Amino acid sequence: MSNRSKGWGIAVAACVGIWLVQNGSEHVTPPVPSAAQAFAAGPSVHTDAAADPLPPSAPVRLRIPETDVDTPMMGLGLAADGSLDVPPAGNRNMAGWFEDGTPPGAKGTAIVAGHVDNAEGPAVFYTLGALKKGHRIEVDRQDGRTAVFTVDAVEVYENKDFPDRKVYDEADRAEIRVITCGGGFSKKNGYQGNVVAFGHLIGVR
Amino acid sequence: MRTTVRLFTRTALTVAAIGAFAVPPAYAGNSETLEIYPSEATPGTTVTVNTLACGKHGRGVGDANSLGAGEFHLNPSTHKEVVVGQFTVPEHVKPGTYGISVACDNGKTARGDLIVKHRRPSGHVQTGVGGSVGPDTAQVTAGAAVLAAAAVGGVLLLRRRASGAQGH
Repeated sequence: MSNRSKGWGIAVAACVGIWLVQNGSEHVTPPVPSAAQAFAAGPSVHTDAAADPLPPSAPVRLRIPETDVDTPMMGLGLAADGSLDVPPAGNRNMAGWFEDGTPPGAKGTAIVAGHVDNAEGPAVFYTLGALKKGHRIEVDRQDGRTAVFTVDAVEVYENKDFPDRKVYDEADRAEIRVITCGGGFSKKNGYQGNVVAFGHLIGVR
Repeated sequence: MRTTVRLFTRTALTVAAIGAFAVPPAYAGNSETLEIYPSEATPGTTVTVNTLACGKHGRGVGDANSLGAGEFHLNPSTHKEVVVGQFTVPEHVKPGTYGISVACDNGKTARGDLIVKHRRPSGHVQTGVGGSVGPDTAQVTAGAAVLAAAAVGGVLLLRRRASGAQGH
């Protein structure tokens, strides 16, 4: 190899190194769902039929096999401002469900929320924005049954335009919503939105 | 066997559901109208009831035990022919329709239905503080390593060039 081509090689390596350092120093944020995962992009090619709803029974554990989520569940109420309460921020592997509402697997809309991160780093639903249509959400219940949901869409909403009815209204089949923070982050205002995964019951184990 | 058990469970649940919403027979018959405001309420709401049944300057005792709110008293309102009373919807009552009855001192009764609905959450959730947001340390480390290697390579190349030039 000539000295000239060696020189070029070193120059290219230096550029790559600078780019890596610069790019890596920028903020890495949690995954954001792509437009293809929104309802507007249409249903996934293979959509499982809705299963008959189960009688109500509280959830105890939630799993999302594709993203290695496996978390215990706690009951949540409403905060003073009417928003859904959230699990304690100190616990990075804890999801909650709205216990005055529909339990997962029963007819209606079960609402689940968990942190995307806390002060120490990523938390239970860090990867929620990476979910795709057709992925599974499994919920173990107190009655010993496991309710299996398929993901219908993953959408991201600005905090100021959060669609209450679309997310929280009772469905007339067994549906689930899994909610976490996302959609851009600024040091001043924190996360600017919520990522919401929508699913419906397709089976029971 | 399992199907039988499920069928039985479902039947039992249906029976229980019918039982919960059925109008107790004791209230049927000559009861007068009990106005309930609001007629649909969420847990924690104060509900006001009034009726003409108790008559002018009358009094009565209300029964909200169907939803666990106990008994309450009805007293004459500013409109003397109407008696008014209040109770609070308990926090943990299930959604559904609950019969409220009033027994007046004059022996008359009144009844009405209260529909309990649960609040839904509103607005976005507060589930992150940004602790996962920050530099990608692996990438920065890799970049630094590549830069270091390029620097070493550059120094070696320059030295070789220098010694090569001397050799000529």
